[in-house]
Amino acid sequence: MTNHWIDIKNSDYILVMGSNPARNHPISIKWVRKAVEKGARLISVDPRYTATSREAHIYAPIRSGTDIAFLGGMIRYILENKLCFYDYVRHYTNASFLVNPGFRLPGDNNGVFSGLHGRNTPEGVVDGRYDKATWEYQRDKNGVIKKDMTLEDPNCVFQLLKKHFSRYTLDTVSSITGTPRERLEAVYSTYARSGAPDKSGTVLYAMGWTQHTVGTQNIRAMSIIQLLLGNIGMAGGGVNALRGESNVQGSTDHCLLYHILPGYLKMPRASQADFDHYNKKYTPKTVEPQSANWWSNYPRYSASLLREFYGREVPLEEAYRFLPKIDDGENYSWLTIFDRMCRGGFKGLFAWGQNPACSGANANKTRIALARLDWLVNVNLFDNETGSFWKGPGMDPGKIKTEVFMLPCAASFEKEGSITNSGRWMQWRYKAVDPPGEAKPDSDIINMLYARVRHLYEKEKGAFPDPIIKLRWEYGPKDGNGRVIHIDSHMVAKEINGYFLEDKTVRGKKFRKGELVPDFTYLCDDGSTSSGNWLYCNSYNGHGNMAARRGRHDPSGLGLYQGWAWCWPLNRRILYNRASVDIHGRPWAPSKPVIRWAGGKWKGDVPDGGWPPLSAGRDSRLPFIMQSEGMGRIFGPGLSDGPFPEHYEPLESPLERNILSPQFVSPVIKRWDFQTGTGTLNARATSDPRYPIVCTTYRVTEHWQTGVMTRWQPWLAELEPAMFVEMGRELAEIKKIRNGDKVIVRSVRGAVEAVALVTVRLRPLAVDGRLVHQVGIPYHYGWATTADREYGPGDRKPEVLTFGDSANLVTPNIGDGNTMIPETKAFMVDVIKKA
Amino acid sequence: MEEMAICIDVAKCMGCRACQVACKNWNCLGAEQTENIGSHENPPDLSARTWNRLVYRETLMPNGDVMWSFFNDRCRHCNPPSCAEGAEDVPGAVVWDDSGAVVYTDKTRELDFDDFFSYCPYGIPRQDPETGRIYKCTMCIDRITNGLEPACVKACPTGALNFGTKKQMLRYARARISELGPNANLYPGEDYNTLWVLPESEESYNLARATSARKHYRAAREPFSGVLAGAVFAVLGFLNFITQRRGKVADTEDNNR
Ligand code: SF4
Ligand code: SF4
Ligand code: SF4
Repeated sequence: MTNHWIDIKNSDYILVMGSNPARNHPISIKWVRKAVEKGARLISVDPRYTATSREAHIYAPIRSGTDIAFLGGMIRYILENKLCFYDYVRHYTNASFLVNPGFRLPGDNNGVFSGLHGRNTPEGVVDGRYDKATWEYQRDKNGVIKKDMTLEDPNCVFQLLKKHFSRYTLDTVSSITGTPRERLEAVYSTYARSGAPDKSGTVLYAMGWTQHTVGTQNIRAMSIIQLLLGNIGMAGGGVNALRGESNVQGSTDHCLLYHILPGYLKMPRASQADFDHYNKKYTPKTVEPQSANWWSNYPRYSASLLREFYGREVPLEEAYRFLPKIDDGENYSWLTIFDRMCRGGFKGLFAWGQNPACSGANANKTRIALARLDWLVNVNLFDNETGSFWKGPGMDPGKIKTEVFMLPCAASFEKEGSITNSGRWMQWRYKAVDPPGEAKPDSDIINMLYARVRHLYEKEKGAFPDPIIKLRWEYGPKDGNGRVIHIDSHMVAKEINGYFLEDKTVRGKKFRKGELVPDFTYLCDDGSTSSGNWLYCNSYNGHGNMAARRGRHDPSGLGLYQGWAWCWPLNRRILYNRASVDIHGRPWAPSKPVIRWAGGKWKGDVPDGGWPPLSAGRDSRLPFIMQSEGMGRIFGPGLSDGPFPEHYEPLESPLERNILSPQFVSPVIKRWDFQTGTGTLNARATSDPRYPIVCTTYRVTEHWQTGVMTRWQPWLAELEPAMFVEMGRELAEIKKIRNGDKVIVRSVRGAVEAVALVTVRLRPLAVDGRLVHQVGIPYHYGWATTADREYGPGDRKPEVLTFGDSANLVTPNIGDGNTMIPETKAFMVDVIKKA
Repeated sequence: MEEMAICIDVAKCMGCRACQVACKNWNCLGAEQTENIGSHENPPDLSARTWNRLVYRETLMPNGDVMWSFFNDRCRHCNPPSCAEGAEDVPGAVVWDDSGAVVYTDKTRELDFDDFFSYCPYGIPRQDPETGRIYKCTMCIDRITNGLEPACVKACPTGALNFGTKKQMLRYARARISELGPNANLYPGEDYNTLWVLPESEESYNLARATSARKHYRAAREPFSGVLAGAVFAVLGFLNFITQRRGKVADTEDNNR
């Protein structure tokens, strides 16, 4: 979230799209309702009429997978009706920037942007890659970007945007999305009102936007809307991802994903041979006069990270060599890993706090992949479909060589530490009870593992022992042999914050060796500081454990609660808040000021840098400090699939064509369905009469992720005991299915049994001149807790048995063009009554 | 103890069922082996182990909109409780506490269940088939007599479940009814210690299903006839209640520490 949960109450227009907070983030509804009580308008866009739709003033149904068309129509509506917040757009976005005249838009270029290379097929280009030469800005002789503040130059971003989205007319959008025209207009005209300077609009989204082949561009489309309407940086504004797990923000910040290091530093590539080369590559330069270009500090953060990993004894250059590198052109995302595993490319797997056999797209493929391993370590609270995959449906234990180890671990309340919520609040939690039996906190399991691996390397050397042997490991009290006995969360938190490693004067302030760094503005690039994650530098310093603070005062009246816990970066509660004021530092919305310039100082939230307002000229800085040009990006040349969002069909679609262009699906997505000799393993069935129904996936309040924790919880299992498929009455009638019937949902890749829930909350939509039916399935079930399986003498039986297996048995293994998140929200199935 | 009441503000309920789980948690009630029979509702009925449950109803309105209602079904804590009449032969089986809570004791084992059941107009009591003991919502008598709100009220994230003195709850209900418009009404009526504020008419809530055993009802009662409609309510009093309640909640929270 750019903003935070409580801030939703400050909003005037709330668009809920790609999420269902009333079911999946129930507490958040409290803040939505507070806003509504004060007169806010609530809009719900969803394939299905949800518990959130029930709360909304306007509900608009949509065909799953067509959000860009829907939002593109809104962009067009805003531009055609001149509803932009022009002052904001001119001063704080790149709307005025001039783009290379050679740049071509999809409308003039067969549905793709200029620079695409790839294989031509009847569906358009596949396996494409963009050469981005024409996506560059025009620059003057000093390298400064050329701008047209009148926004009239045909090559300026604003005019290109207008031209690009002029194709997204109400009729075209309605025909793609299935949303009735008048609902589109109602949503557009209502939300566009947040463009008034003193009004703000927020968007609450979740996996309904991200889990698509165009997921990143869905969010880009909304970001453009938020910039056009001046909603970023405002109280009650922003772009707000409702995270699907209580600490997923924290785990991402600390580099859960393969392509980043802690604090969103980049994972080095094999070709970046030395530290200097690496730093140069990722330290952006700018000659824009007022750009803060925050990432110019990159070398301070990377050096401090290496110091945390390897300490002062290992020179930075050597420490950099110790880091693992990604081979150029490779990605190690989930789908790629499991594809490789399926082809025998891995010996072992740690499935740590997860359940791939149910959680990964195309679960049949995942399960086959697990059988090709030599060993599998399952670290979890409970046994699950992953640890027991070898006795799952369709498996012959006699033929599976994989050796499985189960390591029981502690639950969140059985250990101490912090979690970081969607609003970036790092909140400290205390241990309530000891873990049961042999279960240990994950960190202690890692500690034991590290000690043994290190010992083996010391004894037997091996290929490259130094990165392991020289690792610093200052995370707990030590025994006589210097080994950490158990992990102390406070020591870890302090290492994350960082220390001065020598006496040092920074910006006139003297620090002693061993002192905690007050905040990341004091981190150095010369190896004199350490920090395990620069973004969290300020969370545990001379003032103590900031995350443990419990101050309940809110002088802002906006719910900033600056004394409650701690928020990255620097306890700033609303990101980009320098865009919430005019160039003189006066709030656009005087009734809910995030910051304001008064008496030569900023008052309110921690500003995005203390520089004076823009009218101060040279001494000031532009509000979007993380972009090298300092401006909010309406034109986003950094992405792999285009500087503007463009509608493409999901990999599997009910249509034979993309109504907007000859390019059917995103040209840059990595495709597995062309692999030959893999049967239905990677199969795709689009516009295929055998699979005529659009299917989407979602969650219920009562279950958590793949249900490993909740299916064992009898009070929750009794509330939602079975895999179901929600379908409209019209479809049920065609399929001769009655409410409560057992049915089979099948795609070209697999099938899952479910109970039919026939409902008026899902209705067919008129798409491209025909009726399209949609169904929805929840993602929480698995065979391990069902009545159908055999329970051996050592197997625990749940108190309440559930019915049905994973929704991922039918989902496709295809990822987003930028992030590789799987497209589990839009694919094609059939539903048949079980004989 | 002063007369207390639970007020269920149906318009605020989002059907999350935290109340169902909280009730089982506090009262140590076991789970049931349920099935999905074409509804998100579960368990399918009140039982000796399920003392409150959400009843969902969805209707397609003529204009194409959906009406999706959530009704939390449970004991009405009638005043006077007609079930107590059915237990006259076994003194101490049904306790009508001065808090307004109607509470069953272990002595209910000695009752003839079918006969006893027929005294409740709302089909609420349930018998444990193994022990013969009869169960239903106790208004969390063990909590409320110790200064805590009922478990379900504490767990409710939306303010749909409220607890306070009968007077406060009636005031709250009246204020909400005037806010919610002409169809809003108080169910079942004033002479109860569980009060529902229904935003729509009684027929919109599947109460027939919620109280499926109503036909057995023997002891005749006058049903509530909407005398509240059109009355003028003291909004000031409502605000006062909210402030007091906040204070109370704060106290309760501190008690818990
Ligand atoms: S609702 Fe039934 S069980 Fe409850 S008090 Fe009234 S009569 Fe007794
Ligand atoms: S008042 Fe207590 S016993 Fe009654 S439903 Fe609520 S939690 Fe259960
Ligand atoms: S906890 Fe509250 S909001 Fe949730 S279902 Fe129960 S009454 Fe409704």
